[in-house]
Amino acid sequence: MSTFSKEAGAALIEHALSLDCIHCGLCLHTCPTYQLTGNESASPRGRIHLMRAEAEGRIEPDHGFEEAMDSCLLCLRCESVCPAGVSFESMMEDCRDGLDSVRPKGWLVRVVRRIGFGHILPSRRGIRLALGALKLAQVLGLTRVASTLLGARGRALGSLPPVPPRAERQPLNLAAPTPGSESSQAWLMEGCVMPELFGRVNRASATVLAAAGVHCRTHAEHTCCGALHAHNGDLTGARELARSTIIAFESSARIPVVINSAGCGSHMKEYPRLFSDDPEWLERARAFSSRVVDFTEFLAAPERLNPLKSRLGPSQSGTLAFDDPCHLCHGQGVRSAPRTLLASIPGAEVVELEDPEACCGSAGIHSMLRPEDSSALLAEKLEDLERSGAQTLVTANPGCHMQWAGGLTQANSPKQVQHIAEVLAQALKPNAS
Amino acid sequence: MQEQIVTQLRAIVGPEGILTDSTALLAYESDGLTLKRQRPELVLLPRDTNETAQCMRVLHEHGIPLVPRGAGTGLSGGATPVPNGVLVGTARMRDVLELNAEDRFARVQAGVVNVDLTRCCDGDGLFYAPDPSSQMACTIGGNVAENSGGPHCFKYGSTTRHILGLVIVTATGEVLHLDEADVDPAGFDLVGLFVGSEGMFGIATEITVQLTPIPPVTETLLAIFKALDPCCDAVSDLIAARLEPSAIEILDKLAIQAVEASVFAAGYPQEAEAVLLLEVEGRESAVEDTVERMLPILEAHGLLEVRRARDAGERRKLWAGRKGAFGAMGRIAPDLYVADVVVPRTRLREIVRYATDVCSERNLKISNVFHAGDGNIHPNISYDRRDEEEVARVLEAGDLIMETCIKYGGSLSGEHGVGLEKQAMMSRLFTPDDLSVMERVRRCLDPDGRLNPGKMFPVRSCKEVRPQLAGSPGEST
Ligand SMILES: Cc1cc2nc3c(=O)[nH]c(=O)nc-3n(C[C@H](O)[C@H](O)[C@H](O)COP(=O)(O)OP(=O)(O)OC[C@H]3O[C@@H](n4cnc5c(N)ncnc54)[C@H](O)[C@@H]3O)c2cc1C
Ligand code: SF4
Ligand code: SF4
Repeated sequence: MSTFSKEAGAALIEHALSLDCIHCGLCLHTCPTYQLTGNESASPRGRIHLMRAEAEGRIEPDHGFEEAMDSCLLCLRCESVCPAGVSFESMMEDCRDGLDSVRPKGWLVRVVRRIGFGHILPSRRGIRLALGALKLAQVLGLTRVASTLLGARGRALGSLPPVPPRAERQPLNLAAPTPGSESSQAWLMEGCVMPELFGRVNRASATVLAAAGVHCRTHAEHTCCGALHAHNGDLTGARELARSTIIAFESSARIPVVINSAGCGSHMKEYPRLFSDDPEWLERARAFSSRVVDFTEFLAAPERLNPLKSRLGPSQSGTLAFDDPCHLCHGQGVRSAPRTLLASIPGAEVVELEDPEACCGSAGIHSMLRPEDSSALLAEKLEDLERSGAQTLVTANPGCHMQWAGGLTQANSPKQVQHIAEVLAQALKPNAS
Repeated sequence: MQEQIVTQLRAIVGPEGILTDSTALLAYESDGLTLKRQRPELVLLPRDTNETAQCMRVLHEHGIPLVPRGAGTGLSGGATPVPNGVLVGTARMRDVLELNAEDRFARVQAGVVNVDLTRCCDGDGLFYAPDPSSQMACTIGGNVAENSGGPHCFKYGSTTRHILGLVIVTATGEVLHLDEADVDPAGFDLVGLFVGSEGMFGIATEITVQLTPIPPVTETLLAIFKALDPCCDAVSDLIAARLEPSAIEILDKLAIQAVEASVFAAGYPQEAEAVLLLEVEGRESAVEDTVERMLPILEAHGLLEVRRARDAGERRKLWAGRKGAFGAMGRIAPDLYVADVVVPRTRLREIVRYATDVCSERNLKISNVFHAGDGNIHPNISYDRRDEEEVARVLEAGDLIMETCIKYGGSLSGEHGVGLEKQAMMSRLFTPDDLSVMERVRRCLDPDGRLNPGKMFPVRSCKEVRPQLAGSPGEST
């Protein structure tokens, strides 16, 4: 059996991974970009076929190739249905990283990368400054002007949620408990933009965890996990941030790290993949990743669910529908936990969307780079929500949260979006003690 | 392709309906049979009958050959492009046009995916019975063209039994309404003629299908066996005893292991040599009675254990495992050759044994997943297409298996069609006269032989096919 060496185009693509695809086509129909276009080069099978062809030197990474790769949402729905167990995410991350090294980039991508990925996301101060500027622009109405000037691409700017007042944009600063039982402790990872735009979600998460008998602590310096970097062709940046994340949480090696952002959790569970050539870091990444747990997954375990249940009163959010974030259901395989939690709220009416595992089009920075595709996907989700009759759309990921909120505002809908932590926090009875 | 023709076509389907980028086109170079590859000149994705007809007229005017394509899940190369040819895909024809629950039919565009059809009538207590294992991706148009089967076709019959009417566009761009609102149409059964035509008689754009009521009770059993041979014999005996479950499927050890390693892990016991997946449907008492009478027969053939699905969730899981089985073979080697032959059910054991021996003599990995009830077996041979010598061994094994099936009184294709894969074998099954009759029927609908040329008919025996169109596609690598 001949095997391909890692020469020719192979720097771009992990050829061996592409061989797992047997070309059965079972993944076609569930891929949102294939559904949108009917174009097989925008399907998982087509993309893998092109990656393999590139690695085998049959084609060049030309414009058509880039288009096929860039249009992918990395929603990972293909991984959920692929019987051959293709590692699509890692193939695509490698491929984009490779492409990044050979191609000139458009201005928007360059700006987002250089400033956003390089300077803003990795530091609390950078994020602060950026969000402060955004707030000012929103107050002065500049975002509306910019969004008009930028055309379709600016839509994302216009639909960003209003930056909350400064007082709400504070990190939680939860300290370690006084020495006691380690089993009821957890890190709550606050994330990069979460404390600024969704401080209320972090506060709600901490409140709910406390009601479930968990003492949470937060990390004062840590910000970004590097998920956006990895998905957008910057594996070097992603590795750097992974290392700093691992270091930040390494001293308390037995305490779980709870994440309320599905995209970040999914990425951090896959940290070992970033270090496959680096035995020392591979070991450390494995140890860290084994502690990473999604907020819903963590709470749905009986030892936390039971105490939480005794604290839950009637739902305050009307009829609820949970929309599975791609990186929760496809990325982490977590599907029942959020539903178990919602069902634990006494009297809560929960309905199912027809296709809760379909992508809402947020997809990291995809909504900014490909606004038309993103709007088309969102439109279908909005219709699904409308048919379901739910009043509150429940999510577990900030990107989806913003995407839904933007869509509902634009449609002048009376419905609201809440993170599952908010729904639970609002249903908490005042503590008897 | 001349720029002027492209412009003409673009005006019909719009910029999103035409693919010309050579890299994008490479994604279409094969269907599920990766042995044969050919990049198309152009892909057209019309949205309805009218656009399809207009495109076909332009292609006709310029004498351009074409291949219809659904989801490209076919396993015989039916949707593989032909040299200098265009692909006309139905991927943007996905509307359910009419659903009539009272009269139990639906009218759909050809690109509707099989599973979506069943989903859309589920609320009315109905389903679309033909359920190929590829149903989560394959299209109704593709099912019609291949006359596809599936596990439940043992009871319900294959696609042809479920098609009531068709709208087709011919090679010249003419639109024909082959509608049969009546149960027994006056005149020829042209719908029956079209089903199974492998993309050579025209492009189906709209299809009226019959829907079937969901049976009141469904019982799914997983019977676990010590060995594959007695498992095959058990099937023959079940049928001899006139016990007819609605589906009878066999998976052997390698298939079980591949499925259990996949996202569709169904809880099949990994140490078993073979499992039989059985479904019994009907009224409760009848179902119970059939199950009771089946058990002793299974036991007589070395049954280890029977498990019953406790609820719809468990049933779904057992079936998802079966339906993911081909794909799961991706874990064994990069490519898979899925043979598709039929033998009388009494010879199941012999043919399975023969296929296994042929492969092991040639040092090939074989697994078996098949519709045992129909005598339709799928020896799956894993290989790596980059190894030319191995490819040759696979093809040789495939030919030997096909020949032996013919010898046993069986047939070349159970459900996947002839396409490119089995065309050379056709002359073993049919006389030159038979083939010439088929060719003449084809010419009635496609006088120039521009639809899916170079497929189905053995290349040498159909001299009428114009030389420039007859070229069989494919650098076969
Ligand atoms: C994992 C797997 C499991 C499978 N299981 C089964 C099974 O259980 N039973 C079974 O029968 N098959 C099975 N198949 C084979 C395949 O899925 C079927 O043949 C299916 O009907 C093909 O549908 P498609 O939409 O993918 O058609 P394609 O592969 O795109 O095309 C198949 C043929 O139909 C023609 N065609 C497509 N659309 C039209 C149209 N609108 N009008 C006219 N001609 C058209 C094409 O030219 C081609 O000749 C399986 C395949 C895979 C990969
Ligand atoms: S389902 Fe998996 S093996 Fe099949 S075509 Fe898609 S990626 Fe390839
Ligand atoms: S990640 Fe999503 S968009 Fe990308 S190929 Fe897979 S299913 Fe399609």
